Amino acid sequence: MKRQVPLILCFAFGIVMILTQFSPHSFSQGIYEEVISWTLIISPFALVLATATLIQTHVARIQRRTDHWQYSFVVFAGLITMVVIGVPFGPQHQAFEWLYTNIQVPMDATMFSLLAFFIASAAFRAFRARTFEASLLLITALIVMMGNVPVGDLIWNTVLGWLPLEDGASKARQWILDNPNLSARRGIILGVSLGIISQSIRIILGIERSYLGGGD
Amino acid sequence: MKKIIQYLTVYLVLCIAISSAFSQGLAPPSNVTAVDTPNDDGSSITIKWDAAPEDSGISGYQILRRIAGGGLEEVGELLPAGTTTYVDSTIEKGNAYAYIVRAVSATEATVESEETAPVSGSGEWFHTGKIPLLVAMLLFSAAIVWNIYDARSGKEIFVRRIPGLEAVDEAIGRATEMGRSILYSLGLGRVDEVPTIASMTILGQVARRTADYETPLRVPCRDPIVMNVVREVVRTAYLDEGRPDVYNEENVFFLTESQFAYAAGVDGIMVREKPAAVFLQGQFFAESLILAETGNSIGAIQIAGTDSEHQLPFFIAACDYTLIGEELYAASAYLSKEPMLLGSLRGQDWGKLFIFGIIVLGVVLELAGVNWITTLLQRVS
Repeated sequence: MKRQVPLILCFAFGIVMILTQFSPHSFSQGIYEEVISWTLIISPFALVLATATLIQTHVARIQRRTDHWQYSFVVFAGLITMVVIGVPFGPQHQAFEWLYTNIQVPMDATMFSLLAFFIASAAFRAFRARTFEASLLLITALIVMMGNVPVGDLIWNTVLGWLPLEDGASKARQWILDNPNLSARRGIILGVSLGIISQSIRIILGIERSYLGGGD
Repeated sequence: MKKIIQYLTVYLVLCIAISSAFSQGLAPPSNVTAVDTPNDDGSSITIKWDAAPEDSGISGYQILRRIAGGGLEEVGELLPAGTTTYVDSTIEKGNAYAYIVRAVSATEATVESEETAPVSGSGEWFHTGKIPLLVAMLLFSAAIVWNIYDARSGKEIFVRRIPGLEAVDEAIGRATEMGRSILYSLGLGRVDEVPTIASMTILGQVARRTADYETPLRVPCRDPIVMNVVREVVRTAYLDEGRPDVYNEENVFFLTESQFAYAAGVDGIMVREKPAAVFLQGQFFAESLILAETGNSIGAIQIAGTDSEHQLPFFIAACDYTLIGEELYAASAYLSKEPMLLGSLRGQDWGKLFIFGIIVLGVVLELAGVNWITTLLQRVS
């Protein structure tokens, strides 16, 4: 029974939600919007769960004095400060906004900016011309990079000015993006779409049950 | 001075004459029709009229409407010349509306069309424009369902080798031999997203093996609901393997909902605990490379998988194995070898074959100057 009820609900709601996609009537669209809005009900419970788990995890870390347990105090300091300011005064409060703008936003930006260095290191490994495929990748990457910067066309026009193709770097880049790149992407998207449909059918029919917390 | 006044008078008379000639020649919009907009929820009415000749002097159109028995009211902004259709989405259901299209000239002269018959909006139960989509979906679903049930007969189904999934045992074995943990990230997806569900399925299979080998499995979650479902998935996997004693609930934990804080948290765990194997399976965004490069820097064997074509290049560059797009969804069937799941994979391949056939046929027909497949696909989209 514990397994049957979720499976029946999943089947019923799965079928109904598919049907609403083919019916523009306000009744069916109302059902669709209503069901979607139900997910909002789960959010407050999820917030409580999240906070409880976070506290539980870090209290355990402090109690056991695991490696770097001192950082758990930073988590509690951040949590308590935001709750003490945010709950009584709301997220529009000057202090709350100040903390968000001057602490969270710069930290997010710092993590995001690391991406530039990671791209460089990943590209260095990927573009090492050790195989035919890697060499192909390297040449393609060079063309795309040159086509992305204005100096690329300048070099092209200066060095290869005798060719009947003006601004060849940016044109070659565009051709690569519009043809082989786009074709590969669309191929992946088609496969993914069919995979999603297939997975959804398995879930709706109850063949795929791992999300219920068990085997297949 | 007298001459200047005379010239100005002549000029003004000419201007008035020209504008009056234009306004007199302004023809009213013809063949004005108002119909309930097809394939909607009944919240709009479509008004159409014939295009006026280029030299008609019309500079725009104003739509007017009248609720039965009421006065005329303007609807929307002045439409540019050349417009022949307007969708009035401001109607109230249950009311009947009659429409007039007013042509406006550059000199603000106006002329109105005849009033249409009153029409009201009513919602359709079925979107006829989606028939091809419905047919394609039914065909594809039928292929999958047929293959699922065909697989029950015990026929052997061939599935091509997927290196990323073949390496799962290798990664777990390596972590076990090194006495280090395994880190599994489901990415940023929520529980109602298909990649997250696919990732949970793979996690279930990974957890079965880690239960057997008693290898610690750490799962930092970004979504608290995902965390709870994942706890259940891992717990059941350990129970199924008869090792509930090895299961530690604290190893599946909530980290943060913030994207880059999550990336920082997972990176921190990687650097501190140095897991021997890292699984990055699910929905990833800009943090994908931050996670994958950190995993690479600690020398962990990394198996990634996502359906986001934008993040795939990053994973391919930084990870040892990558499940590309649909392989993520094939993982549960591949790892479990369950015949019914394998059958669905074959159905999926039939779908791909069908699409491939349509593409080839479309290209051949286009080359021959026949474009009905292109037209059909454009209509569907």
